[in-house]
Amino acid sequence: MIPVTWRDMPTPGALSEGRRSALEAYLAQGLPHSRQEDWHYTALDHLTRLPLHPASETDAPRVLDEAPGDVLIFAGGRLIHAASRLPSSILHALQDQDLEATATLAPATALVALNNALWRGGGYLEVPPGQRLERPVFLRFVNDEPEAMAHARARIRLGAGAEAVLVESYAGGTEANYWCNALTEIELAPGARLTHVRLIEEGAGATHTGYTAVQMTQDSRYDLLDLSLTGRICRHELHLHLAGEGAACRLDGVFLADGRRHSDHHLRVEHAVPRTMSRTRYRGIASGRGRGIFDARALIRPGADGAEARQDSRNLLLSPHAEIDAKPQLEIYADQIQASHGATVGRLSDETLFYLRARGIADKDARRLLLTAFVGEALGLIQEAGLGDWLSPRIEARLDAIGETMK
Amino acid sequence: MLEIKDLHVSIGQKPILKGISLDIRPGEVHAIMGPNGSGKSTLAQVLAGREGYTVTAGTVRWLERDLLELQPEERAWAGIFLGFQYPLEIPGVANVQLLKEAVNAQRRRRGEPELDAFDFLERVKASLKLLEMDEAMLYRGMNEGFSGGEKKRNEVLQMLMLEPRLAILDETDSGLDIDALRIVARGVNAMRSPERAIILVTHYQRLLNHITPDHVHVLADGRIVASGGRELALELEAKGYGWLTAETPVEVRP
Repeated sequence: MIPVTWRDMPTPGALSEGRRSALEAYLAQGLPHSRQEDWHYTALDHLTRLPLHPASETDAPRVLDEAPGDVLIFAGGRLIHAASRLPSSILHALQDQDLEATATLAPATALVALNNALWRGGGYLEVPPGQRLERPVFLRFVNDEPEAMAHARARIRLGAGAEAVLVESYAGGTEANYWCNALTEIELAPGARLTHVRLIEEGAGATHTGYTAVQMTQDSRYDLLDLSLTGRICRHELHLHLAGEGAACRLDGVFLADGRRHSDHHLRVEHAVPRTMSRTRYRGIASGRGRGIFDARALIRPGADGAEARQDSRNLLLSPHAEIDAKPQLEIYADQIQASHGATVGRLSDETLFYLRARGIADKDARRLLLTAFVGEALGLIQEAGLGDWLSPRIEARLDAIGETMK
Repeated sequence: MLEIKDLHVSIGQKPILKGISLDIRPGEVHAIMGPNGSGKSTLAQVLAGREGYTVTAGTVRWLERDLLELQPEERAWAGIFLGFQYPLEIPGVANVQLLKEAVNAQRRRRGEPELDAFDFLERVKASLKLLEMDEAMLYRGMNEGFSGGEKKRNEVLQMLMLEPRLAILDETDSGLDIDALRIVARGVNAMRSPERAIILVTHYQRLLNHITPDHVHVLADGRIVASGGRELALELEAKGYGWLTAETPVEVRP
């Protein structure tokens, strides 16, 4: 089970001092519950009813497809495969000392604290100043053990002017009801530029909770593609701090909530200084009894004059039992800013479908075409990052599946 | 090739078509005229398979098949094309993408090889030229931000590319200025052939100055109240619809 007292800990004696205090911080809070404002849309009660145990060290992980870049693969919380041309000083499996040498970016909320206490496998990427990585870096976390609890971890640092493409993916091929609790901390030095694809492709019975903290300095640039394709109950929480003038981020996302999927996207963007920019664009599709949530807030602090914050959330509801909650929010305390937010929830138009069918495009192809066009507006980064061959078929397959079940 | 017999159609409980019979043979151009609300567009939509209409009586046979049994896409595969009165905008689907999908979907169904990119582009360019359309239109979202005239030309472009056996053009002339009307008519005339039939649904006779129909039918209150040749359209222009449909409110604009 999830530790609620010291006795529940698998190996309390082996914990370092830092991990012990993290565990205490977690125990003091307990699992988040839906009465907390930040957890309004997602309940984790089911986890307390599972006999969760730490993921075992498996030697026979599921084989993953090839990825076009430098790759670290973790299964059951352990590095099982590395295929990288990069020197280990740039990319290696995360060690305790890597974290001890860097400042923590994520406040010790319950799940962050639990990850701090129990994480085992993870990636460390540090790109030296001025260097531009030629190939994407893939950190892939795989779980397929029933009732396993895996705390995945990534620490990313880009030096001044450095550039990289990072793909962080979470996968599980089975129906196993495991829980993956991920924490990613990203630091961008002045002028650094990171393209970050975060892909949730968890197993059909899985719970995924992820936390990404991004610290941005002057003139740095962060482009996120936040994709949630599969997994039973999934939540990604992004905290992004625009702390240097000229820092700019583009936050794109697509979530597909079919069947009984639950996909919660909780974004908190803080404009701390002048001339910072955030552009958020999410596309969500909910069908069956699925539920998708876009809950975003941009905070423009006093003095952050000339900031620009845009939020755009568009959603499609494909069934009467599906649900979309779209909640864009702006909180503004500065002057001469530019801000806008919009959210829509619509349906596939029968008229448009008829138009396509009257042209000889079969019903299911017409649906796929319209769904693809709809999410396409938020998928520009795929081509820009050169990931089309690897990533687009996964999304198309999911849209096909959703189109098939509509009728 | 198209035989409509005593067709009755309702929307909900409301009868719209009250017994239409029409026989259309290969090579013919039929104009269906009539005042607003006469059922012209309903007829076009029912032939293309639009949902929301109930056929309460009658039959429609197309090339020896029961047309009403077929799904809209099956009708397209069988060679029927509907040019929409209000073409839809589909952001995110490029014009060229839809054309290619539609052309190749139909070719696959007919057991013909798909067009390769080169042949496809050659054919599109020839049609664009005929319609005086800019090639840039191909790469814009489907009808997205197109003017009324551009949308109608785009419908004709699709028709030229799909080469249907029966083209039903639902008020393709409405909202066109005289130049656009001439261009659209040129596209339609290019389609005329001994194997192909065309139905022009129109409120005004001015389109028929550019496309000479073989038959003209006047629809009023869900019935064909007059049929004739080209001269019937001219007579309508001179007299309005009132003399044919005494009990029907008439609205004829210049």
